Amino acid sequence: MEVTLLIEAMDSSFKIMEKAKSDSVGLLETAVRLTSRTRSIEEKKINEILKGAKSRKGKVQNIAVSFLLLFVFWLLLSGKFDLFHMTLGFICSLLISFLTYDLLFANVRVGDIRLTIFRFLRYIPWLMYQIITSNFYVAKLVLKPGMYIDPHIVKFRTKLESDISWVALANSITLTPGTITMNIHDGEFFIHALDRKVADDLKSGEMEDRIAHIFMEADHIYIQDVLDVAAIFSELRKNL
Amino acid sequence: MINKSDDIIVMTIARLIIPFIQLYALYVLMHGHYSPGGGFQGGVILGASFILLIITHGIVEARKKISKKAITLFSSFGVFIYAGIGALCLILSGNYLDYGYLSKILHVDAAHARSLGILGVETGVGLAVMAVMVSIFINISSFGESAPENNTDEEE
Repeated sequence: MEVTLLIEAMDSSFKIMEKAKSDSVGLLETAVRLTSRTRSIEEKKINEILKGAKSRKGKVQNIAVSFLLLFVFWLLLSGKFDLFHMTLGFICSLLISFLTYDLLFANVRVGDIRLTIFRFLRYIPWLMYQIITSNFYVAKLVLKPGMYIDPHIVKFRTKLESDISWVALANSITLTPGTITMNIHDGEFFIHALDRKVADDLKSGEMEDRIAHIFMEADHIYIQDVLDVAAIFSELRKNL
Repeated sequence: MINKSDDIIVMTIARLIIPFIQLYALYVLMHGHYSPGGGFQGGVILGASFILLIITHGIVEARKKISKKAITLFSSFGVFIYAGIGALCLILSGNYLDYGYLSKILHVDAAHARSLGILGVETGVGLAVMAVMVSIFINISSFGESAPENNTDEEE
């Protein structure tokens, strides 16, 4: 009697183990499938980035966007909205956009351009605030009788990747009183700082983080990773 | 021969601002009969934008935008437009560059024909000035040699 019970128990435990094994195999398979899917999506994205401006669609899009920009600029300049001048503006903008679309959109990265513009507009008030506060600081520093300045050159390597974000950072640094960008060489910024405190503010890297946020660099990549992993986890949870 | 600039700030700002400089040049050219400006000024601004391109991106890159053939063509074509409109007025029994007589072929009244005639002449002047400015700059910067053009030919 006890033997049969034991055998039954063993049998059921084997069954449970078998089921668990098949379940886990299924889970692993879905995980592998999901990973390969995300990888293929990523590869496609990388290919798109590599092809980027070369592809036909990108070219047409670039010409269209630069045409719109230039036409708006023309309307602002001209201020005459009759048919003759609008036609002239249309022709001129089309000519220039065909000639220079690859200058205006030389290093375009992935990401939503509208979001970039929105973030950039939100960045300007912060920059204004920084400029005003450091204005007061530098004025106080210079007007003090002793003039306790400590000019030195700061060198740091940036985590930003594209030329446009480098230029945005460099110009933000130059616009802020007390610091001047002297040179950018292979991703290394050489900055002249008037004082130790100004240099420390710069080294804290808040400005750099904000620029990276605008142009969706550095941090943006990690966000993409988290999103990929989230899809796999949700699928796993469903199966469990 | 001018090589590519190694200053990333200058290069990037130049590449962003050149299209707008060129459009501004065309605006000055086209609105010459309403506001200050005209063919020569527009042409100079247009030429300056190409010179900026040469200084920042190097002459080899700039040749892709404006080739030697295009410069030669534009400098003679601009003069041709100017002289052609003048001669057209002469043919239409007017004086040289007497735009009022263009109304016979444009089917508009004399005042409007004058306006259009001035626009055409200024376009010609602008093209010629632009091409000549760029060619003078390239000749001075390359010491009169046409080395860059030969190099690109060999690469192709």
